[in-house]
Amino acid sequence: MNLKRPIFAIFLFACSVTWAQNRQLLYDFTDIPQALLLNPGMETSFDWFAGIPMLSGVHAQAGTSGISVNDIFADDGLDINDKVRNRAVFGLGAGDNQSVSSQIEIFSGGFRGKNRPQNFYSFGIYGELDFINYWPKDLAILAYEGNASRLGQRFDLSHLKTRGEMLSVFHFGINRQWNRELTVGARAKIYSSILNFTSTNNDGYFLTRQGQNNLLANVLAANMRLRTSGLGALEDAADVNDVAGTILSRGLLGGDLGLGFDLGFTYHLNAQTVITGSLLDLGFIYNNSDVQNYSLEGRAVNEGVEIILPNALVDPTADFWQELVDEIEALVPFEEDDSSYISFRPTKLYGSVKYSWGMPKGKGPIDCDCDITGSDRSQRNQYLNSLGGQLFMVNRPRGPQAALTAFYERRFGNILALRSTYTVDKFSLTNFGLGLSLYAGPVNFYIMADNLLAYQNLAAARTASLQFGLNIISWGDN
Amino acid sequence: MLLRSINAMIIFVTACLLFACADKQNFDQYDDLSVTPTVTSSLVYVESPEEYINNTAGLDFYTQDFNFDAFNEAFFAERVLDGSITYELENTTSKPLEITLSFLDDADNVLDTENFSVDPAPTAVLTREVFYGGATGRSMDIIRNTSAFRVAARNLGDNTSVSGLPDPRIIFRSSARFRLRLK
Repeated sequence: MNLKRPIFAIFLFACSVTWAQNRQLLYDFTDIPQALLLNPGMETSFDWFAGIPMLSGVHAQAGTSGISVNDIFADDGLDINDKVRNRAVFGLGAGDNQSVSSQIEIFSGGFRGKNRPQNFYSFGIYGELDFINYWPKDLAILAYEGNASRLGQRFDLSHLKTRGEMLSVFHFGINRQWNRELTVGARAKIYSSILNFTSTNNDGYFLTRQGQNNLLANVLAANMRLRTSGLGALEDAADVNDVAGTILSRGLLGGDLGLGFDLGFTYHLNAQTVITGSLLDLGFIYNNSDVQNYSLEGRAVNEGVEIILPNALVDPTADFWQELVDEIEALVPFEEDDSSYISFRPTKLYGSVKYSWGMPKGKGPIDCDCDITGSDRSQRNQYLNSLGGQLFMVNRPRGPQAALTAFYERRFGNILALRSTYTVDKFSLTNFGLGLSLYAGPVNFYIMADNLLAYQNLAAARTASLQFGLNIISWGDN
Repeated sequence: MLLRSINAMIIFVTACLLFACADKQNFDQYDDLSVTPTVTSSLVYVESPEEYINNTAGLDFYTQDFNFDAFNEAFFAERVLDGSITYELENTTSKPLEITLSFLDDADNVLDTENFSVDPAPTAVLTREVFYGGATGRSMDIIRNTSAFRVAARNLGDNTSVSGLPDPRIIFRSSARFRLRLK
């Protein structure tokens, strides 16, 4: 077996990932400091925390939209050509997206203000990878079947939509308990882009129809653009085996810089009911280094080489083929430029409502609008059970995508907290996840896995995620 | 009760992680994957009014070699499997005509020739499809090595008569349809 097959399988899987941005297991999991990255206005009771470098927050998520490795490579006796044709080329729609994202914290930390204990400050650096591609249905059909049997059909070039980026994020956030009911937070981010490419506003079509003069006419009407930044630097680095150095250099503020903000809040409707919300990555990156842009714009109709007498005799040395090529290139020029451009981050929105109940033995009912200051802090988040729902939305090239999650949390003293989730979206109705946060003294370890049912047959999984982290945490009153 | 549920969940997750499995996959199937689109496009169009034919003395009223690089482009030549070229000849002039299309390689060697003869108008449109490759078609090397065409048009009639049809002319149309192997 050569390497092409597993690479193709991995490509199929990676290219069919979806919901890579949704981290429903971590959102508002108040025992875990990294949840602050999903809601800077989350209620915090830490005195300080320090993430273990490179291990405090590792997140990888994958899923499939419409197809899985198993759909193509299952040893089921079916012809792979039928499977590819029916399940991929004609089975996937232009709305099926394929995306992947991962995040790894380089370091992170946080501390509570000495003079203003209602303030909690957090900071850190993390690397992020984000890629999305919509299934280019018409182009896939054109490549798979060709145009000969599809005369008169317009192959829609707008089906080609893709965007990807690799960057590092330097962030600093302030979390403040505004009053007994409300906690708000904001985070400022500096983006250092390592790589960016975007081709999302394409338009046009390719059509083959009966010709006016000749038998057939191929019509290309295109308005397409691909913008890239950092690609050339990585290619050059690959030539001299210095990809890691280039990634590091561009990631440590040596790449394209950008600015962004996160906002969030937590509000107690009553002692047991809490609503939260956050808006993440409201920001942009100004791509101005190592930019390479490509465009194809115009309209051309090709009916082959035309020789119309006697006009064709005017120039006896005429090169009809080259004239045809030149004419098409003039009508639909493929151009390159290096003009700077701004790319916007995929903005995310989270919202949740949570109802909590059940007190630990030996403790009476408490008024949980307790204050963060002084000894009251340890009284927060003491309910044993929580039940709630979450909404997640992310801005994508074809518009917002949403997911709904129901969750249940259970605490076991100050040692263990569990969270289970059930998430529905247009791709999956059976996404169950479970997260665990464990304390051994000041050491916090958490691990979370998504779409657990898929573990019955990983090859057929259409979504799965894993995230874990290790922190040192102090509550001050420990 | 709740504790039991939690315990059950933990056991379930542990079991999932420990006993995660996957149906048997056969990645060797990749070798059997075949992607062979059939592409089509017009090739050459030649048109001449009867007036021009009448004004040109001699048998050959038009002969021209011209470059045609579509077939020997590496992307096409390395992937083409088989296919056909369709020709259509429409004669509304008053004279019998003959068109010859020759396939030339880089050294101007004739690789293949296609002759068409049509009667004076009124006559039916002549249509012909020539196959290349496969068990019965002509050699694909003709297509792969073609880098130019030679078009020769002959007037087998007189130089004075004029057809009674409106706008009389000879029209030669052609299109190609080939199957490519992308995988």
